[in-house]
Amino acid sequence: MNGFSPHAHLLLTIAAPLVGAVVAWLLGSRGLSAVRQSAAVSTVVTLALAAWLIVRYLAEPSTAAGLPFALQEVPWLTEGIFDVRFSLGLDGLSLWMFGLAALLSLTAVLVSWDAVQDRPVGFYVLLLVLETAMLGVFAARDVILFYVFFEFTLVPLFFLIGIWGHEERRKAAVKFFIYTLAGSVLTFLGLLTIVLWHAAHANVVTFDIEALADGMMIHPLPMTADGGWLQMIVFLALLAGFAVKVPIVPLHTWLPLAHVEAPTGGSVDLAGVLLKLGIYGFLRFSMPMLPEATAMAAPWLFALGVAGIIYGALVALVQTDLKRLIAYSSVSHMGYIVMGLFALTPVATEGANLQLVNHGLSSAGLFALVGMIYERFHTRNIASLGGIAAKAPWLAVFFMLFTFSSIGLPGLNGFVGEFMILLGSFQRAWDGVSIAWQSAYLVMALLAVAGVVLGAWYMLWATERVMFGGSREPPRAGHGHADSHAASGHGHDHGHPTPGDRCDLRWHEVAALLPLAVFVFWIGLAPGTFLAPAAPAVRKATSSSATAFAARMHDTAPTVARIDSR
Amino acid sequence: MNTTSLETFSLLAPEIVLVIAALVAYLGGAFMGLRAGWLVAAAGIAASMLVARGQAADPAFSAGVSIDAFSTFIRWTVLSLGILLCLVQAGDLFASAVSRGPGLHRGGTCEEAGTFLLLLAGLSLVGVAGDLVVLFAGLELVSIPTYILLALKRTDARGQEAGLKYFFLSLVASAIFLYALASLYGIAGSTDMAAIAASLSADGAGRIAQAMLPLAIGMAIVGAAFRLAAVPMHFYAPDVYEGTSPGNAALLSTLPKVAGIVVLARLVAMVTPAAGPDLLWQILVVLAAVTMTVGNVMALWQSNIRRLLACSSIAHAGYLMVGVAAASAGAVSGGTHLFAAGGMSATLFYLATYAIATIGLFGAIAYLGHRWPEWTATSGPRPPREEISSVDDLDGLSGTNPVAAFAITVFLLSLAGIPPLPGFWGKLALALSALGVDGTAAIDSGSRRAWFVGVAVVLVLNAAIAAAYYLRLIAAMYFKTTKRGVQADGGLAAGVAMLACLVLVATVSIRPRGLLAAASRAGESLTPVTAPSAGASQSPDTLASR
Repeated sequence: MNGFSPHAHLLLTIAAPLVGAVVAWLLGSRGLSAVRQSAAVSTVVTLALAAWLIVRYLAEPSTAAGLPFALQEVPWLTEGIFDVRFSLGLDGLSLWMFGLAALLSLTAVLVSWDAVQDRPVGFYVLLLVLETAMLGVFAARDVILFYVFFEFTLVPLFFLIGIWGHEERRKAAVKFFIYTLAGSVLTFLGLLTIVLWHAAHANVVTFDIEALADGMMIHPLPMTADGGWLQMIVFLALLAGFAVKVPIVPLHTWLPLAHVEAPTGGSVDLAGVLLKLGIYGFLRFSMPMLPEATAMAAPWLFALGVAGIIYGALVALVQTDLKRLIAYSSVSHMGYIVMGLFALTPVATEGANLQLVNHGLSSAGLFALVGMIYERFHTRNIASLGGIAAKAPWLAVFFMLFTFSSIGLPGLNGFVGEFMILLGSFQRAWDGVSIAWQSAYLVMALLAVAGVVLGAWYMLWATERVMFGGSREPPRAGHGHADSHAASGHGHDHGHPTPGDRCDLRWHEVAALLPLAVFVFWIGLAPGTFLAPAAPAVRKATSSSATAFAARMHDTAPTVARIDSR
Repeated sequence: MNTTSLETFSLLAPEIVLVIAALVAYLGGAFMGLRAGWLVAAAGIAASMLVARGQAADPAFSAGVSIDAFSTFIRWTVLSLGILLCLVQAGDLFASAVSRGPGLHRGGTCEEAGTFLLLLAGLSLVGVAGDLVVLFAGLELVSIPTYILLALKRTDARGQEAGLKYFFLSLVASAIFLYALASLYGIAGSTDMAAIAASLSADGAGRIAQAMLPLAIGMAIVGAAFRLAAVPMHFYAPDVYEGTSPGNAALLSTLPKVAGIVVLARLVAMVTPAAGPDLLWQILVVLAAVTMTVGNVMALWQSNIRRLLACSSIAHAGYLMVGVAAASAGAVSGGTHLFAAGGMSATLFYLATYAIATIGLFGAIAYLGHRWPEWTATSGPRPPREEISSVDDLDGLSGTNPVAAFAITVFLLSLAGIPPLPGFWGKLALALSALGVDGTAAIDSGSRRAWFVGVAVVLVLNAAIAAAYYLRLIAAMYFKTTKRGVQADGGLAAGVAMLACLVLVATVSIRPRGLLAAASRAGESLTPVTAPSAGASQSPDTLASR
């Protein structure tokens, strides 16, 4: 292991997709198959490197104590008041998200195999650039470096949606970009305020996330009227960007549009990884750095999480477009994660952190499957689809697997996360809040349970309509009558599939889904493997917020004393 | 001739070289071809760079000329932008030769190059001016060549409108600015900037000063605002840019802004320590916020590329003023600021990043030049080429000219402030300088901290608004298709300018440190810093008591 130090390994993993992008670009003149094969090779290599890195992480004894791994630090902009460093590393918070980003990038390439025929070079180059940005954002240990990757993910996705998306793609791309940017620029100001506050009080300028988190414990931002509620203002600034990313209802309106219009590969990355950035931001910045403001806002964000669960589920119930239904189910499921995060009990926050991965797997799988269905039947209209199980049994098997994962069937990954979140929320509601809040918390937790039922309802309803029942739409391409199905949503009643009209998964589609399915079972059956490495980091990130929350609820209010003692 | 004036001549050697090169271009115009003029210009700028390089780096002062880190930064900025603009302007030459058709062989003249060199000499003189008279002479040496260039490039009605509009408004702005200079002379009894600063801080509370200073400040800001294209003197920009060539638009959106920033910087250095007025930074903060918002909102509805970029350049003037305002507030009372000098450095840094992207953008448009209208063999004779002017003319550029489309996209994203492009580093520096004013105080309404936090919020939200119209251009190039081919007849020079700017953008993205270090030195030399550590150790108690 001496020859290949962990930090070089990490750097290589992040750079590999970029190298792959250059290779894909150079191979551009050789045509579609060369480009997509090179992209697949790059993502496989990246995934292998990432997997090996995770194995090394788990084998390293120091990481169990919560120490970061594979640290890498190169000065980038160290001049005057700037101390921006290109510093990378992995810890318990980022470990699984890093792996998920590498895994889903492979899925994104494989599901685009036949779907993307137009300008393939640009498509795969952007997909690989997006992978580097996604890997980088989770490995970044510098505020500015984090923000650079955070914002830069918008650029490739903007082009992916705008060029290779569906009918409304231009509007969706611009709306997605502006909406997210408008939120995250405020996050940017909030982060700068933290840096400046720390610089003024610790007398040293640093942009290092960990140093800032430690520094904010010693010199917290004021949370009193005297100090101008600065901590709350900064919290709200960070919230603006993270809430749009998650998205927390009512800031979700960009999401269904972006998802429905995005190409399948883009949807997979967007739902699987990029939505998680908001939650990751809360865990990385808001909770450790602004504990008192987090504690103050926690009940409201808990409530918004529950509102998202119910609202997303109800809207999903009335959707006619399968992809839009899954987009709204994402809104609903992200609501659970928000709720678990702001329940601020160890079980709930760890569950929420695990649920990030779970939702990444199931939503990415479902979006990939919707893309496959669209390729075959040229429609996503639930009313026009049906009887797919007869024509494509393996597609149906995978669809049901990810549906069950999404609705939390015991034994699969979704169950573990949702159960922990609900358990933790009930713990919080039972004896973690003051009397005044107790009934409200109980009602909200019960509503979240009702959300599970709603979730099962719309997902199973859609599965039943799409997978079983009579066939309403014959397969499309390769059968010579694709043109008659160009317009979707009119419930074509022509087309009589012959029994031999099979259109099951091809090898690359199986390869895209199988790794996800493996993890669906693995996390479902042995969640401890995944919970244990993250637990110390999650607990460390949330402990100060939890303490502050408990103090608020029991009215001991140490906040004033802390300000004065500075 | 005493030794002082000899010394002055040696200090001004780079500018003198530019003027000599201009004379060569004027006289040689009788013998040389069209392109030779721009070769002379490029050679003149290169020679000037060599001379400037040979000069001693130490601060020097002689008879109204002061050489310090600030003026050196401005001089090098001017010369570097001069080289790039030279290429873009030469590109204009080819493009406009096409526009005018075969009948009129007036694609430009050698004199244009000479006039351009005089403009550069004037701007460089503005940078090194340590005296109000030299400053004003320099500013006029910028303005007059600009009128000539605007009038020479275009002879159609729109071009004449642009030239006249700029001419008259510039005269008014110069006159108002002259009043400001006269008032400053009246208050301090000297035209020397250092003497004025000393006299103002000695008896800043004097009766005359109290009455005259706000007036002088206001009029000086109006004069600077015209050059910056900032509110309240911004409205000419869209019309003038639309009516002139891409090369001239590139020139107008960068060089006068340098002059405007120098004027504001000198003003801040002169009057703030003295008058202690919150007035200066308050005016600047309000103008900055209004300017960026007006520019961006106006740009949302533009369909002509040059009008759109004119509005965008108004918005960028607003961003630039944020740093000056922070520096001004920092100079008023040092101790409470975390990073007092950061403001001026941030502005200079932002100016450079903005100029690179903007010149690259106009260089790309000059390079693209014309496009063919839609035409089929059956619909009669082929219609003439049309100049690229509206956003729709860029439709499908990613298919017809992928290199130019990529370059334009990078420049636009940099202007929008998307990391890690230079515009992002610039906005980072500006936001930090604004948030650093009274950096630890509470954000009480009406406090200085609240003003600057407010302007920082307006700045970043404007960046999001601006993204909307920059994305419209990008969407046209990448998300639409076209049947009309692009001519790319702007000549090699403009293409080289575009690529050079692309290389510069990439360099600053990856390694922003070099440029920022130079800008920091320049900013600090102008507004002497109270040590950051002093500000840092300042206890919040004193802040609370303010």
